[in-house]
Amino acid sequence: MDHLIMKTNIRYLTLYISAFMILAVSCNKVYDVPVPSVTNSILKGTKPLAAASKALTEGIYQVNTANSVFGDTLVVKWTRKSLSFACNNGIYFVLDAGSLNSDILLEGYWRDGYSDGTGLCTMTIAGAEGGNEIVNEIIPQQIIMRGAFGNGDGTPDQTFTLTYIRPFSDKVKNTKFNVLAHRGGGRTSDRLPVSENSIEMIDWTERLGSTGIEVDVRLTRDKVAFLYHDADINIRLAKKGPLSGDIEAYSWQELSKYVRLIHGEKIPTLEDALTFVINSTNLDFVYLDMKEDKEAMAVVIPIQQKMLKRALDKGRVMTIVVGIPSTAVLDDLKTYPDYQSIPSLCELTVEDVRTANSIVWAPRWTLGTQNDLVRQMHSEGKTAMCWTIDNPAWIRDYVNNGHFDGLLTNFPSVVTYYHYIQK
Amino acid sequence: MSRKYIAFVLVFLLTTIAAFPQPKDPALAKPFHYSLTLGSGWTHYFDNLDYGNQGLSKDFAGYSFRFLWEPEYRLSLGAETGIYTMFKIKSKSGAATPGDITRRVTPVFLLARMRIFDHFYLGTGFGLAFLTNSTNTDHQKIVTNTLSLSNYLFSASYIYPIGNRWQLGGEVKVFDFGAYNDWMYSLQVFGAFRF
Repeated sequence: MDHLIMKTNIRYLTLYISAFMILAVSCNKVYDVPVPSVTNSILKGTKPLAAASKALTEGIYQVNTANSVFGDTLVVKWTRKSLSFACNNGIYFVLDAGSLNSDILLEGYWRDGYSDGTGLCTMTIAGAEGGNEIVNEIIPQQIIMRGAFGNGDGTPDQTFTLTYIRPFSDKVKNTKFNVLAHRGGGRTSDRLPVSENSIEMIDWTERLGSTGIEVDVRLTRDKVAFLYHDADINIRLAKKGPLSGDIEAYSWQELSKYVRLIHGEKIPTLEDALTFVINSTNLDFVYLDMKEDKEAMAVVIPIQQKMLKRALDKGRVMTIVVGIPSTAVLDDLKTYPDYQSIPSLCELTVEDVRTANSIVWAPRWTLGTQNDLVRQMHSEGKTAMCWTIDNPAWIRDYVNNGHFDGLLTNFPSVVTYYHYIQK
Repeated sequence: MSRKYIAFVLVFLLTTIAAFPQPKDPALAKPFHYSLTLGSGWTHYFDNLDYGNQGLSKDFAGYSFRFLWEPEYRLSLGAETGIYTMFKIKSKSGAATPGDITRRVTPVFLLARMRIFDHFYLGTGFGLAFLTNSTNTDHQKIVTNTLSLSNYLFSASYIYPIGNRWQLGGEVKVFDFGAYNDWMYSLQVFGAFRF
């Protein structure tokens, strides 16, 4: 009997230990998908393209090969730093370009925003297939991009051909539509090469088609406004360091010295981040998502006002709005003198929008397109955007059937695709 | 050595040992089925900080308290807690941020311990851990608390009975605290009272 009990105990203990060990080792943290590295660049010796030449390459392209991977059509659009292709399924391309004689050479990488897939890509627009005209800034008869894509750092070996279909429609060109990127341009959890809510992310996000950003604003113990999403310091967002717990308990000096974001960047102050947006990007909309609801407006609004003035002085048309995500934040805003003159974005009801005199109404996307209310807001001189919409099918539906003036998303390349593909 | 490799080796050893039942030693027949253990000793923090570890002290004294139910001669179940200092960082004089940072932990673990050979035991435990960071500056002390949900320990013990109720022993313990991926080991001597 004792022997039987002992064997049963051993069996349970073994099972317990094994199950526990499997649990313990199963949490394998992967923070990013490395950007594939080019070893022998084809762009050596090429000349940069003129702005007019760049504009001629933009438009809607048909995918002739590899359409099972990238879909049947692509949106090709220049951003501040690169040429980007946006697909309908979350895959995007980030390419550099240059001309060599009459050929245009493209080189960069593709990435699936919804998974770990990535690889190198090289393409050419031969002189006879549109390259010559583009280089000479003449509207080309045709544009054919031929090249290949690969996986990881491997040499591109799968044929990839695109044919120009049409330019962007007048509707697209004449409509101001905001592609707002979440968390400064993208989430760390989507394994991007830079950390969310960092200046590096703000610098990077335009490659995905973003025209504006949402940033998460918190205050340090000594009332410095900075960007960080979570309430605590954690190894999901920050490198492992000596500080832990409530991030707002620390002074700016302590955070600045002892905390680095997961890819090594410094946590930016709100002022530094907005200065970068104004001085160094083409982003024209910044949504300050207030994570603190006690006396935060008194700190953040003066920064907002200062930065709006700086943008004006630089001749930039920019919108910087303080967010109102809760009634507590709305109450905090109401304590600010002449609060109805402060540009704000309200996520609450349309009545709250009127109370705060917000310039933007931003309901949660799960409430539907709410076209009647959006029209009502438009009739009152306000704009409407919804948050945070990530599923490609819903993005398509909201772009095609909704009347929002912009969408906040973690996948700006998908919003870019569905916006620019419109006829 | 990777965590996965260590885990694999431990699972292999434990399952192998457990697969060979040992004859019951009459000398080990237990008149008592519970024990209380107090331990103290040296702890060492594995420095895996990615950033900000200049001036890091990693060796401190640690204390543990354990209650075990010992229903039979081989397997014991119970709970363990303790007080440990993981690390302390002292800023150099004249540094931009004065003062020091200390991280302490109080684990509250469920524990399973198994006799492997005479006097030798292996144990494992899991549970909650309360992490406390205290930052002292010129002006004030900032204390932040974090509840770590995924934590475990492995231990190897040598236990020597002195008399009917009392035991003395030595123990090596390795802790992993999941919230910040902190690793620490502890070498302790302990006294146990059985009842």
